[in-house]
Amino acid sequence: MENIITRDKDTETYELGKYAKSFGLSLAITNLISALLVVLKEIQEDSVLAWMKAATGHHWVTHGVLNLILFLFFGWLLARPNEGKGVTINPGFLVLSIVTSLIANVLIIAGFYAF
Amino acid sequence: MENLLLLIHPATGILAMLAAVWVFVDAFNAAEGSQGRIKTLSLFCAGLMWLTYLIAGYWYVVFYGPDKAIIKAGPWPFGHNFFMEVKEHVFLALILLATYLPIAARDIAHNKAARRLTLWVAGLIVPTSLAMEGAGAIISLAVRVGLLKSAAGG
Repeated sequence: MENIITRDKDTETYELGKYAKSFGLSLAITNLISALLVVLKEIQEDSVLAWMKAATGHHWVTHGVLNLILFLFFGWLLARPNEGKGVTINPGFLVLSIVTSLIANVLIIAGFYAF
Repeated sequence: MENLLLLIHPATGILAMLAAVWVFVDAFNAAEGSQGRIKTLSLFCAGLMWLTYLIAGYWYVVFYGPDKAIIKAGPWPFGHNFFMEVKEHVFLALILLATYLPIAARDIAHNKAARRLTLWVAGLIVPTSLAMEGAGAIISLAVRVGLLKSAAGG
């Protein structure tokens, strides 16, 4: 049977690209900040929630815009260290950070609205 | 118009999820020949998720108010108080996850770490998208039971 996988094991690398590392870490950071912002805006309705409503007309739109800005900012910032090669991070730890941040995001948000 | 938007956004969401499933399966045996396809499908996933966000966001901001009032006055107020609140905020994490997928999937053919990362990212998009669809179904049902209650004079 013909082997359709042309991957060459000898040329394989285990080093992620700088943007994969920087935006991956940025994703994890933004997920956590986003969940904390949910709690903050709900318990600070007169200040934080009111400002978020005033900024774009709807707090959820402002929340989405802030998330996007944070994601792009941290992604850009974390790509700069090591003479532009990006932040040093173990690929396994990056995966763990992303998975953990998503689980924490869901638990914080669901936990807040459940109780 | 609003009913059309209501129908389109879960459809684009499902298509984005199916693209993530494709990327997940393709990533297992990623090689030179599948690199382009994985790149295209991961971009497709991100694009469709953003389309879902824009359509659902427009509907939510402009048309959701009356539905929210029906749900909160009906027998299933948790349809809004829990499911909509969780859905609208967790979706913000999902959209960033989908945006990150094409970045993670770059150079997947020759990079074991990129393959592993892509598998995890695509693998997280799928159950999160399904949870969004499920929450949407519960919210729709909450509107329905609210309307039935008011029609029955409750």
